[in-house]
Amino acid sequence: MEASYHSTVAAAKIQAPSAIEFRNVTMAYGTHTVLKDLDLAVQPGEKVTLIGPSGSGKTTVLRLAMTLEKPTGGDIRLFGESMLYGQDGQRLPARDEARMRRRCGMVFQQYNLFPHLTVLDNLILAPSTMRGEAKDKAAHRAMEYLRMVGLEEKKDSYPSQLSGGQQQRIAIARALVLRPEILLLDEITSALDPELAGEVLDVVRDVARETNVTLLIVTHEMRFAREVSDRIVVFEAGRIIEQGTSEKIFTNPSSDRTRAFLQSVLNH
Amino acid sequence: MTWDWNFVFQILPDLLVGVWYTILITIGSAAIALIGGLLLAIFENVSTRAGRLVVRFFLGLFKGVPILVLLYFGYYLLPQFGLTLPAMAIGIAVLGLVYAAFCSEVYRGGLITIPAGLRDASVALGLSPYVMWRRVYVPLMIQRASPALINYVLTLFRQTSFLFAIGVPVLIGKAQVAGYQSFRYLEPFTVAGALYLALNIPFLFLLSRFKTKYA
Repeated sequence: MEASYHSTVAAAKIQAPSAIEFRNVTMAYGTHTVLKDLDLAVQPGEKVTLIGPSGSGKTTVLRLAMTLEKPTGGDIRLFGESMLYGQDGQRLPARDEARMRRRCGMVFQQYNLFPHLTVLDNLILAPSTMRGEAKDKAAHRAMEYLRMVGLEEKKDSYPSQLSGGQQQRIAIARALVLRPEILLLDEITSALDPELAGEVLDVVRDVARETNVTLLIVTHEMRFAREVSDRIVVFEAGRIIEQGTSEKIFTNPSSDRTRAFLQSVLNH
Repeated sequence: MTWDWNFVFQILPDLLVGVWYTILITIGSAAIALIGGLLLAIFENVSTRAGRLVVRFFLGLFKGVPILVLLYFGYYLLPQFGLTLPAMAIGIAVLGLVYAAFCSEVYRGGLITIPAGLRDASVALGLSPYVMWRRVYVPLMIQRASPALINYVLTLFRQTSFLFAIGVPVLIGKAQVAGYQSFRYLEPFTVAGALYLALNIPFLFLLSRFKTKYA
């Protein structure tokens, strides 16, 4: 079943390079191995969710994609181009790395908004300083995204004046203003009360529906994962133990360990 | 000994000149301390281990040696090495450098309380290291360090009295001169003390504002 899933995707996108591809990636901190020989390719526009017990390496996958960490071994390719090595096989120059990093955006568990800047300034900092956009034009665009997350009236508020759910919606808008082709969502509702998590997930549903951004999601919200993902990848101890459509993983997983994991998170 | 108001008014213009010098020296050395301390804290954070060692040495030197020793060194010894500077410049430089060392510790303390997540966010937004420091880290460092920095500037202001030892006409120096010229010390020293105390008020006001804002 897994094989047939891959062959359909492969047939549909046979020419286009993957949006992001992990090739034989290993990540270790000292003697502690977090990821082991990871192979994972995500197609442009695909919505992929990584699930699995905590400490299984899911977040590390996202941090590697965002170049927040460097892998111990293997290669990571963004739209067919290595994020780690240049043509000559040497380490990629910082300038090229910065250029490639622009294609990714990330939203974090702890929101990570800049506390000394207003909502609007959080959104326009990167466009106005790094992309050479005029301030008023950047602000105009930022307002569109604030509207999209339903918080345009909060543009002059400081992050500390907002609820966790509102802060996280702002963080999503801040990532989207830069028009990333790949959006990485790292447990974005884990720090929120259930009723606040809902409003954040609604925003992500809108993004998934209305844009063709490639989504790579780490979450413990299984219902949300099932609804929004084209594919679910199950991690355990730094390895992929199973992957497939959300339908398959949630109704008929082939691995006992997937079944055990789902049971533990769905019944608690 | 009775208090003589006439004498007070007679020496007051001269003491006010001392106030003026005191303010100038405070502003000059505070500028060096606040900016130099910030640069030191940033440099220490981004530099190599060797660079960090150099900074540590500098901090140890300026925090460990009494101000009076440094003043005498600059005033009496530097000319022997061919470098003769006006006493006021030496005073401003010594106070500025000593308090830059203290301030850099305060900034460093502010820096380590900034959550690591903000660095991740800066990278994810594609901010260059320069923009990250300029727009994220430095404003937060200043915000977090401000109450302690104001305290240091207040201390520095009081320490300007040391500059009397190398002949800079700061307030206490003017009071001393007024005293020995007339053999009356009651009024000059009392008025000088009162003026020093009065000059504290702007700092105390600033501090109370920060306390209500961030406490």
